[in-house]
Amino acid sequence: MTYHNLLFTLAVLFALWAVMAKKLLTSAIMLALVSVTVSLIFFNLGAPWAGVFELSVCAGLITVLFIGAVSLIRSTEEKHPESRAPFYALPLAAAIFAIAGWFYLPAFFDELASWRRLADGSGTIGAALWDLRRPDLLGQVLMLAAGVFVIKSVFPRRTEK
Amino acid sequence: MDKGLLAYLLIPLLSAVIIPFAARNRPRLADILANVTLLAGLVNLGWLVLRPSVVRGDFADIPGDGFALLLVGAIYLVALCVTFFSAWFMEEGQPNRAAYYSLILASVSAMTGVVTTTDFFTLYVFIEVLAVTSFALITTDDSRGGIEGALKYFFLTFPASALIIAGISILLIVLGDLQFETLRIFMASDVPPGPAVFAAALIMLGFLIKAGVVPFHAWTPDAYQGAYAPVSAHLAGIVTKISGVYAIVKLGTLLRFFDGRASALSEMVMFLGLLSIAVGALAALRQKDFKRMLAFSSISQVGYIVLAAGLGTPLAVIGAVFHLFNHATFKTVLFLNSASVEKSAGTTDMEKLGGLEHSMPWTSWTSVIALLSTAGVPPLSGFWSKLLIILALWEAGLRGYAGLALLFSIVTLAYFMIMQRKVFFGRKSQAAESAPEVSAPLLAPAVLMSAVIVALGLLFPYFYTYVKMVAERIIL
Amino acid sequence: MNLILIPIVLPIAAALALLLICEKTKYIKELLAAGAAIVSLLAAANIFLQPPADLTLRWFGSAAFTLHADNLSAFLLLAVSLFSAAISVYSFSNPAKGPAKWFFFNLLMTQGFAAGAALADNMVAMLFFWEGLLVFLYTFIALSQNNHAARRTAMKAFLINGVTDLCLLVGITITAYIAGTASMSEIARNKLTLEYGWAVFAYVLLMIGAVSKAGAFPFHTWIPDAATDSSATFMAYVPAAIDKLLGIYFLARASVYLFALNQTMSLVLMTLGAVTILVAVMMAFVQKDYKRLLSYHAVSQTGYMILGIGTLNPIGIAGGLFHMINHATYKSCLFMTSGAVERQAGTTDLSKLGGLFRAMPVTGICFLIAAAAISGIAPLNGFFSKELVYKGALDTGYTVFFIAAEIGSFLTLASFLKLGHSVYFGDRPENLKETKEAPFSMLLPMLTLAGICLAFGFGAELPLNWLIVPSLAGMSIPNPTMSGFHLDKLYFVSVIVILAAVINHLIGLAAGGGKADKASDHIHYAPVLKETYALAERRAFDIYELGMDKAVPFVSRLLFKADRFFDWAIDALPSGVAGFLGGSVNRFHNGSYPLYMALTLIGAVVYILLAGGLK
Repeated sequence: MTYHNLLFTLAVLFALWAVMAKKLLTSAIMLALVSVTVSLIFFNLGAPWAGVFELSVCAGLITVLFIGAVSLIRSTEEKHPESRAPFYALPLAAAIFAIAGWFYLPAFFDELASWRRLADGSGTIGAALWDLRRPDLLGQVLMLAAGVFVIKSVFPRRTEK
Repeated sequence: MDKGLLAYLLIPLLSAVIIPFAARNRPRLADILANVTLLAGLVNLGWLVLRPSVVRGDFADIPGDGFALLLVGAIYLVALCVTFFSAWFMEEGQPNRAAYYSLILASVSAMTGVVTTTDFFTLYVFIEVLAVTSFALITTDDSRGGIEGALKYFFLTFPASALIIAGISILLIVLGDLQFETLRIFMASDVPPGPAVFAAALIMLGFLIKAGVVPFHAWTPDAYQGAYAPVSAHLAGIVTKISGVYAIVKLGTLLRFFDGRASALSEMVMFLGLLSIAVGALAALRQKDFKRMLAFSSISQVGYIVLAAGLGTPLAVIGAVFHLFNHATFKTVLFLNSASVEKSAGTTDMEKLGGLEHSMPWTSWTSVIALLSTAGVPPLSGFWSKLLIILALWEAGLRGYAGLALLFSIVTLAYFMIMQRKVFFGRKSQAAESAPEVSAPLLAPAVLMSAVIVALGLLFPYFYTYVKMVAERIIL
Repeated sequence: MNLILIPIVLPIAAALALLLICEKTKYIKELLAAGAAIVSLLAAANIFLQPPADLTLRWFGSAAFTLHADNLSAFLLLAVSLFSAAISVYSFSNPAKGPAKWFFFNLLMTQGFAAGAALADNMVAMLFFWEGLLVFLYTFIALSQNNHAARRTAMKAFLINGVTDLCLLVGITITAYIAGTASMSEIARNKLTLEYGWAVFAYVLLMIGAVSKAGAFPFHTWIPDAATDSSATFMAYVPAAIDKLLGIYFLARASVYLFALNQTMSLVLMTLGAVTILVAVMMAFVQKDYKRLLSYHAVSQTGYMILGIGTLNPIGIAGGLFHMINHATYKSCLFMTSGAVERQAGTTDLSKLGGLFRAMPVTGICFLIAAAAISGIAPLNGFFSKELVYKGALDTGYTVFFIAAEIGSFLTLASFLKLGHSVYFGDRPENLKETKEAPFSMLLPMLTLAGICLAFGFGAELPLNWLIVPSLAGMSIPNPTMSGFHLDKLYFVSVIVILAAVINHLIGLAAGGGKADKASDHIHYAPVLKETYALAERRAFDIYELGMDKAVPFVSRLLFKADRFFDWAIDALPSGVAGFLGGSVNRFHNGSYPLYMALTLIGAVVYILLAGGLK
């Protein structure tokens, strides 16, 4: 149980640090760490496949892309560093939200759990999502294609210039 | 998934994948391929729908509920207009021509997926694809306005995605699976619907944000104004409809609003619809830029659709569906024409334009037809759809809503009159002096759409039977 | 084609044709006008002798536009046509009538419409013709002289008659509603009684419309103004003849044919008549202008007619109708003489005229005959009709009316003595030494009318038996015994009145130092009367002037303020509100991302709370 809570707290901490960091490189690395923590949470919840995908895509591929992009603008970034002052209030806001949530949210989640009994009980969420969803493949293919086209659309300008 | 319409999804995807390879040496091939694909789809659809039996009123051959077919038709029509327009509008040296067409075809594919799916999660996936392609499309010409518009669009609609996923997950807990039918059956049964309605409310909220309903509308003017010109037409004409409004209408019918089981949600949706109508109309009154004014007008018209969807009675659903289709046609014409005006006169500032009717007669007159139809002037199509909505409201006993809807329709008419007078009629301004009429291919889509508007208006009785069938099928 | 249409259609067609004729032609206009008038007269005579069938045109299925020539209508039609013909001949050579084209146009149009009003059986149709006359009244006066005064008087006449015609309209509507039909002959079968409020109201309105047309007090104030501001030919035609004929015709129809009046209403009518007689004749007596004097007398004589009809007994009504035709005859003749004098001597100011009898003998004789007739001297026609009226008034039992009528007679004679003396007798002023007699085209109608005065006087049975009695019979009134020369006390009273008038004139002459036109000064400047006359000359009693000066500007200012308010409410307010709202919304959308995001999040939170809280 505590391992579970620790993972959640770490995820929140890394996310806050990513927003408040002065340098973009720090933010990118913090995002990667958030993804790692979330994938560990998935493993903990018994969804190994989700964990694997999260680790490889988010913590791996995307972090590589981010770091690549950040390195490209490092020169301009050093000339004009952005001020992160407004975001120093963020931890305070998060703390307030956490305390408020500690009071109110358990009741909400209990009710949420109670609704579960309304369902037929037709298997776990995992079964519903992953086993019965052939058509989703089409969606995934489309998503990949769209991603490729987006890159083709946005990037060629760089080489021309 | 509606198997009958699967082809409409796969073929544009195929073309999208082929285009970059085919157009590597000959860029123009991209245009041709895109247009041919869409035209083929439209022709096929026309063959499916315009058979004598269907015209007579025998709708047995129409697959599924006719709503999907109607919207696929709208999608292909608008996309064809946009690609045709772009073929002549794009500069020669545009570097990402092929990517542009691929993106448009991919978005068409995604939209078809959205309207043909019968499952919430698939819906979500396709919506996300659509959003991704839209971001890229908005920035096609690398302008500052485009980037700002795209970023605003992204940032202000990612909460929508978060909310939709949250809603879907709760729905999964409550219902056990994510099919539309499950929700419909659940609502029709006697089980207290509370949790399911809450989940549906979250999903509804996500789609309301994506549709650009007040108070979540702030991204629309900047996105439409800053986007690359034909893309504004694509966005306003069909993308926001499919990504936002379609789901609201569908969800409204699934939740059986007319039954009164989800009355609180129904009232909230109706209220937001009316708020959009009001804010959109009032804001449009004072706009100085043509595109921005059209954006606010879009917000207002989407408000009508949302209002009718929130009401949920059969007549209201007919009105909403018809108005959805009509609005796609009006906005396409208007945004394409604004692109023409911008290309020809160099500006879209209404203060600087004037008397365009003399130098750009075709553009002016097609715009006037579209504007009159938006304002709801008989016998154009917009009049019928607005009339249906107002009648549905009145019939349901919501006299106040009906009265206000009518009042803001008059405000719509007012600002369109102002706009027409400023931009098209009146004395020729300096900008208009040097503005030649754009070439025929650029006008063709606008003329085609205007013809559709007029035809729908005049042939309303035939169209009404089709829309009535759609409403019956999706409600019952 | 039904003969009954000719007196209506022919003059109107001729009038329209007249418009096409160029102004410069010499005689075509006059000949066309005279020809149309004479042909209409022949048609009218034919209608009178052989009443044709009714002409009914159905309109909208239920309303029937009927022309019905019963005895009274035919009689009236004959009279209208006769006077039209006479005037059209008379105006051949009268230059003072204004542009000939317009004069004859108005003349013929008035004739056609008056014929229509006389013949119409349906009250709505009659109203149509009646109101049409109003238009031509205006144009007749306005086009007779090309100055501001003519237009002003035309407007005054139009407004006074317009307002009372409106009353007539409302009265006819109510009457038709109460009776269930608008056809006069149908209503006459069961006459309406004045039992309840609406019927009384309807009758009063009808009465107002009729007496105003006839020119009774207090609707008469335009007639003296028209006397100075328009031509003598107009005066001879419209206020003297046509108006009286139509007005009294409709008063008779309303009082006797359509409604069965009670004692109160009879008293009202008689009082109105008596007041008219006295007020008008008091004013007439002190006038110093030929035409103005005559016009006041015209008003005064109307009082006799109203008095006669108000008595509600057969003799009185017969007297009223007979007086109507007699008055038309002699008053028209008198105006014609004034026109002749004006043409020949160039002026109608009594102080500048004198001793014209030698120069214009025919005119003078016609004047004498007509003056004697109007004064009620036996055996001319005026005497007989006045005597019938007196007898009717006495028969009602209220002697006061009889006395008022006799005083009226006294003053009438006195003023005509003054008039005749100052124009035709006495010394002729220097500048009039060369005056000649009027041309033949002017003399002929005068002689005709004077001749009729004599004929209706000496042979009074003729008109009574042929015209009046059948008219009464047409209205189901029993045949009274009258006519013939009765040597009864009424006759003696009238002789006394004549003598008193002569004596008064001599007194006046003496007081005025021998000048005839000053013969009325002793009454004019008498202690109380002086102030009253002064006020009257300043139009203090003229309700038209009072209304226009005080009431109308006030009301119009009020309405203007109300209109500005509505204009603001409909125009300025909504666009102001919309502009304000639009501007605020516009300023709100300033492109700032944090603002938009905040809005989105707040909206989402509120939504979720509502959705969650109210589930």
